[in-house]
Amino acid sequence: MLKDFIRKRSIHICLVCTGGCNGCDIEVAALLSQRYDLEQYGIFLHNNPRECDALLVTGTVAKQWQEKLVEFYDKVPEPKAVVAIGACALSGGIFQQEGDKVSAPVSDIIPVDAEVPGCPPRPAEIASAVLKYVPPALASYRRKS
Amino acid sequence: MSYIPIGPIHPGLKEPLRLKLKTEGENVVDAEVDLGYFYRGAEQLAKGKPWQKVAYLTERVCGICSNAHPITLIEGLEKIAEFVPSTRIQFLRVIMAELNRIHSHLLANSIYFLAIEHETLGIYLLNTREKILDLLEMISGNRILYSWNIVGGVRMDIKESHLKKILKNLDEVESEVFRNRKMFKTGPFLGLRSRDIGKMSKEDAIGARAVGPVARGSGVKFDWRMKHSTYIDYFDFEPIYRNEGDNYARIMNRFDEILQSINIIRMAIDELPNGPIREECEIPPGTIDYRYEAPRGELAYIFETAQYGIIRNITIRTPTIMNLEACVKHMFKDSPTIADAIAIYQTIDPCIACTERVIVLNEKGEKTEFKGLQNVVKKYGTSPKTGMTSQGNNK
Repeated sequence: MLKDFIRKRSIHICLVCTGGCNGCDIEVAALLSQRYDLEQYGIFLHNNPRECDALLVTGTVAKQWQEKLVEFYDKVPEPKAVVAIGACALSGGIFQQEGDKVSAPVSDIIPVDAEVPGCPPRPAEIASAVLKYVPPALASYRRKS
Repeated sequence: MSYIPIGPIHPGLKEPLRLKLKTEGENVVDAEVDLGYFYRGAEQLAKGKPWQKVAYLTERVCGICSNAHPITLIEGLEKIAEFVPSTRIQFLRVIMAELNRIHSHLLANSIYFLAIEHETLGIYLLNTREKILDLLEMISGNRILYSWNIVGGVRMDIKESHLKKILKNLDEVESEVFRNRKMFKTGPFLGLRSRDIGKMSKEDAIGARAVGPVARGSGVKFDWRMKHSTYIDYFDFEPIYRNEGDNYARIMNRFDEILQSINIIRMAIDELPNGPIREECEIPPGTIDYRYEAPRGELAYIFETAQYGIIRNITIRTPTIMNLEACVKHMFKDSPTIADAIAIYQTIDPCIACTERVIVLNEKGEKTEFKGLQNVVKKYGTSPKTGMTSQGNNK
């Protein structure tokens, strides 16, 4: 109980890029700067899946990631939330064309709690999506018995 | 002798890639790189599409050098059409390209400082970068992907009021970069982590075909801007290079190039001529091998056009693939600890999204056809069968 209460105010996030153009990833990196200062809101960005509460997934799911993304999702401790960022993660974006090699959207492969559209979305939008949708998603997460 | 796998997702890496380090104690003896986590097939998608669509696609090959990719395609198309844009267009393109270079170099140095756990400098540089992103947004309307270059000109003009804002922000950026450069130059612990680590000699750099700031840090005096007509005619451009060849040289070279780019933008704004920002240009069939200096080094676009500007076949070679080889072959051997191996890897400014151009699948016995550089017809029309694919070819 107490842990669930505390976790809502200190979210650890892990960024996974599954193939895209890097634009969304550098917008997440820009969140670290003093202008946005992600850590003031209680969000800590580190790329360690075994310690994180929320996964930020960007990019079209490339061929290598189709099975690995599921394995990767299983490694995250419960309760967990997933935020899909950018047009590529939501629909495949510009790479979803005839003769493509991608398997977007991300929501076909793992359950997604929040989606941030844009190519790329602004850093403030990413931060507000994490703040607004991750705590309720963690609270309502159903543990596997 | 043991193997240490790093990645694809790791706190030390910013992009998915698997590094397999072969170590003896703490010394790195050898390394393997496993790519393929970013493949999207941009070149296949570009085949048989008009240049208007391909320009959008090339922009999304890499989000950091998102000005260098479309400008290489577009200047190549203009070379095929033997079209020379007006002086104002050339100057506007230089301003945009140098702003993009400053933003890329600031990000690269910032990630290096985060990799050696010097968060102060890393966050300072990220904050400086926001000022450049503001300028890019003001000019083109977007922070990362600009869609600003088109054949025959540029999409939006830079107005008088914009120029004042650019000069004001550049002054602030210059003073901050000077301060951070001094911190890096004189900081004793930063020096311990950076000097004499990851050394690469000039011969090795040439042998591994290293490009960009990585090669210039090892004493190779070459920059594709030396051969670009605008830089030759209007800016007396001299490449910056250093002879040490270690981490310090590569990071310092980027700091110096930022200051050089700021001076180039100031020169361009001083002498900005009047003129049209877009002119008519019709693209005939032809082939070209066009190279341009992206922030990370030489960027090669080899392509073939059909009538009305339809791209028949395209091959993109990005700088990181050569720099990665230089890093793995030569730099890792001079790494005293495994923590330094990650720092060395970040000094080459790797962009894995750029690198993943080709994937050859063999495991399931699928038929693999490698359609790469060798298939682009050198002279249009001599052997039309070579460059053809069954899919996506408009006749």
